[in-house]
Amino acid sequence: MRPWSSEAVETVLAAQGIRLAPGRAAKLAAGLEAAIVADALRDALPFESDPSGYALAVERCKRK
Amino acid sequence: MSDPEAYSVEACLARIERWQPRINAFVSVGENPLNPAKGPLAGLPLAHKDMFYRAGQVSNCGSKIRKGWVAAETATVLERLDAAGALQLGTLSMAEFAYGPTGHNEHWGDCRNPWNPDYITGGSSSGSGAAVAAGLVVAALGSDTGGSVRIPAAACGVTGVKTTWGRVSRAGAMPLSHSLDTVGPLARSAEDCARILQVIAGFDPKDPISSREPVGSYAATKKSLDLKISVSTSWIERNADPEVAAAVLAAAKFFRAAEVEAPDFDTLSAHCVTVMGAEAAAQHARWMRERLDDYSSAVRVRLEAGYAVPAAAYLEVLRARGAWLESFCAGALAGADLYLLPAMTCRVPTREQTGPKGGAAMPGLLGEVTRLTRWVNYLGVPALVLPCGFDSRGLPIGLQLVARPFAESTLLAAGRAFQRATDWHQRAPADAPS
Repeated sequence: MRPWSSEAVETVLAAQGIRLAPGRAAKLAAGLEAAIVADALRDALPFESDPSGYALAVERCKRK
Repeated sequence: MSDPEAYSVEACLARIERWQPRINAFVSVGENPLNPAKGPLAGLPLAHKDMFYRAGQVSNCGSKIRKGWVAAETATVLERLDAAGALQLGTLSMAEFAYGPTGHNEHWGDCRNPWNPDYITGGSSSGSGAAVAAGLVVAALGSDTGGSVRIPAAACGVTGVKTTWGRVSRAGAMPLSHSLDTVGPLARSAEDCARILQVIAGFDPKDPISSREPVGSYAATKKSLDLKISVSTSWIERNADPEVAAAVLAAAKFFRAAEVEAPDFDTLSAHCVTVMGAEAAAQHARWMRERLDDYSSAVRVRLEAGYAVPAAAYLEVLRARGAWLESFCAGALAGADLYLLPAMTCRVPTREQTGPKGGAAMPGLLGEVTRLTRWVNYLGVPALVLPCGFDSRGLPIGLQLVARPFAESTLLAAGRAFQRATDWHQRAPADAPS
């Protein structure tokens, strides 16, 4: 994946009608980079899994 | 249990008057001091974070945008406390829109730590932590989306419960991030938290994610405790401040905790930030377009980041949530009822270190404040924070216990056992009742 750039951040926010303060885009791009983390567990999920599976996991994890 | 004489309404109101100039814990005082209802909390003086709505009354939500906003309906949690006879002495300070972990607030003034006003209270339920620590009320409600009950509980030296997602209704409470938002009590002791939680927990048809899981008894039982607790000592020694590590590991010794490998806190925390960022940005989209200049710069910056989270990345993180929950329960909790760790890796920072003048070190320090709380919200499990010592500057140190979904009674039983054997929770700032 290509790293976030200031221009990309400005474009994405402008498309949603959000005005950025001058100089903010670069800091935001750095913050977004930090939020992208490797996750082997996520990458190994079965194709069929979706967010609603969380409710089933809660049931399985409760102390019986 | 709190002493009824020390916590009469008159005594509390007198203390509020003395303490308010020092700590700025209250936003409003004295709006609902009378409640004729007879119930398990009859006459108990409480106050709540200024984001639990009461019909006909103002909820400012720590913001400029909602300053003077009058709610049309009453939050389910307040209705339940009213029916149980509790009193509400006022509304409490909070971070703007509950989106900040320190207690700073440029619209309403910073809330200050009763142990030393130069230090943060933690946030976002800053007034809840400060008011309970100073003995202004017996207990207070807070909300916890990434640590907002637990960080103030730790920084102010009180006890706080982050409930299982769906255990306590959020109807009539200001939303921040619907997949993570929870409501819970702060009080001096686990015993008092249990009394409040017993009243507010349980299914509510007004909250779409409210659970139908039966609410057991949170009261103390005479059954012998046979709790198994796990801990990751070497992680704590490597990553926590030495004074924090010493206090928390002494508590681990009390519980005879067994060693396990630490969960991947930082990955889970990053996932929590992704979910919170995207959902908070969506919640605030209209105001961010129309009233941008009415946000503080700190909250505006946090919200801006959420608009750049790709929808697929947000959903991928939620897609993995169940697998991560099962991994935690099959790993750190495999042979245990509870997992023990610090509430924060750092000692309580000063307001200056974590405020607008905090400089280059500020973001890293804020990261340490929230490093061990956000992962719990991503998993949706319950946690208890309680005091386990004081550092060399006289500021409290918080211990955190994390449980399986809906195991609040186990957390509270462990908290009671610890507080029967120690007196950290009975220590109070000068001029506050112990």
